[in-house]
Amino acid sequence: MPANRTASLVAREGLGGPYFLLTFRHAETAIEARPGQFVMIKAGVSAEPPLRRPFSILETSPERETFTLFVKLIGQGSKALASLPIGGFAQCLGPLGRPFSLPADDTEALMVGGGYGVAPFSFLGGELLRRDGQKPRLFYGGRTAADLPLLARLRAQGLEVVPATEDGTTGVKGRVTLPLEAHLDAGSGSRRLYACGPEAMMHAVARIAAARKLAAEVSLDPWMGCGVGTCLGCVVKIQRSDDPRWKYKCACTEGPVFDASCVVWPGESASHAHRAREAEREASASEART
Amino acid sequence: MKLSVDLAGIQLKNPLLAASGTFGYGVEYEELLDLSRLGGVVSKGLYLEPRDGAPTPRIAETPSGLLNAIGLQGVGIHAFVRDVVPRMRRHDTALVVNVCGDTVEEYAEVARVCDGTPGIAGLEINISCPNVKQGGMAFGGDPKMTHAVVAAVRGATKLPVIPKLSPNVADITVFARAAEQAGADALSCINTLLGLAIDVDARRPRLGFGTGGLSGPAIRPIAVRMAWQAARAVKIPVIGIGGISTTEDALEFLIAGCRAVQIGTANFVDPTLYERVLDGLRSYLERHSLSDIGQVVGTLEYPGEAKNAAKGGEG
Repeated sequence: MPANRTASLVAREGLGGPYFLLTFRHAETAIEARPGQFVMIKAGVSAEPPLRRPFSILETSPERETFTLFVKLIGQGSKALASLPIGGFAQCLGPLGRPFSLPADDTEALMVGGGYGVAPFSFLGGELLRRDGQKPRLFYGGRTAADLPLLARLRAQGLEVVPATEDGTTGVKGRVTLPLEAHLDAGSGSRRLYACGPEAMMHAVARIAAARKLAAEVSLDPWMGCGVGTCLGCVVKIQRSDDPRWKYKCACTEGPVFDASCVVWPGESASHAHRAREAEREASASEART
Repeated sequence: MKLSVDLAGIQLKNPLLAASGTFGYGVEYEELLDLSRLGGVVSKGLYLEPRDGAPTPRIAETPSGLLNAIGLQGVGIHAFVRDVVPRMRRHDTALVVNVCGDTVEEYAEVARVCDGTPGIAGLEINISCPNVKQGGMAFGGDPKMTHAVVAAVRGATKLPVIPKLSPNVADITVFARAAEQAGADALSCINTLLGLAIDVDARRPRLGFGTGGLSGPAIRPIAVRMAWQAARAVKIPVIGIGGISTTEDALEFLIAGCRAVQIGTANFVDPTLYERVLDGLRSYLERHSLSDIGQVVGTLEYPGEAKNAAKGGEG
């Protein structure tokens, strides 16, 4: 059950540039959090910024009762968090949201992280590494090498990491979906995709999954107000295959992890799952006519 | 020490309510909080039927404020009565339903459904939502329509009727009096202020609906002023709303003449805020050697005016 109380900062590690790892003491989150879940957190009790911020959990230590966030300094919320002194307090509500579904034992887990969206895959990857027969692979993309500050850390964790940068300064030159598709082309068997990062990247992964009929989950990141489903500020359009039309679902309580095939992506009028079902119906109807 | 308040016949164990749209239907918090410590909970706005609400994005942070256009997404009054009210009855707190409508008749119909439902303590009439194309602020911006909606709801229910007034008017006292004349039992002052935030790179509004309603500490002085004006203009009690995030903020509204207050946007920042405000109210009474929160109500000494007597004892 999530808990709402203060969390003290116990460690801060600069990763170069705007990136930090911040470790907080908050027993409930440390003990109960599952990969893909998040916390709503805000430094201190200042009036600015007004709202708490959602952050995916990078890792937990149930023994130390701590959890760690991967924070990129973007606005007031992240800057205030990273400026907390060791021992300083944040207001924290967590763990929240629907976690990733774990793959079956014979299914290869392929994670796609873009920029700071890679955060939940350290947690998910670590969980999968502890299971027999799982060799989780992470495709880690950014514009340039400096956007991949967790690369060495994720590798040290034991994950198979395939980096990709748009300028070619690290790993494959190009979008992160390039090595993903190459990997999918080269192998076969049961696969499950996980994506978190910029919306365009998650949309691209969803399209790849739909085209190859693979299961995929995405972790969406809209602005959130409350984290518990009361403000209805973070809704996203979701449509299961049998829904005649989409419905707004709260990313905080019914997500942030959603089945990628059920997301109605910007610029599209229906989910991939719904369109696939309609196409099947159309096909069987025309078969019946002939 | 007496914190309880009789608000137009609604017995509140303390003067703190959770404001509509900031606390869901209450049940979302039942595992996280002790709801029975709250004086009351005002539900998210409800129409007869379910609503999708406004397009996304729906919220934008602004200096000390929150601009929102949720557009009254909701499950509809029938699902609320069936699924939520029985659960909320397990908690010892007053449940007030925020009533919405596209037409005068719809407001009355929603009120009629609530009238026959045990566990509903009162009705807040939403004539002030800035984020819907019909109803909402369109009714709250015209004193004749305000009167018409309140009178129609009055005729449909025996429950206390509490219109929630819009601040997006030149003179809120005109609307306060119109609502009182139409049979309102109390007033909620205020709803959000109409605002616009712009993404300068995209040159588009930051909200999917376009404009939105501004809430949070940024609006508090405006809210205190308007609640104060309304409280002086009518005999029925006023509930103060707008940017409360500390005990002192709540006290400002009480001193200005409000019988109770609602905590809104601050619930998102800390849903347990009411606990701290309650503790704060107790220490304030102690510090000022008072025994009843009603002794604070309407005690503002305004420059050039005779000292007011406290309004709390009038019941």
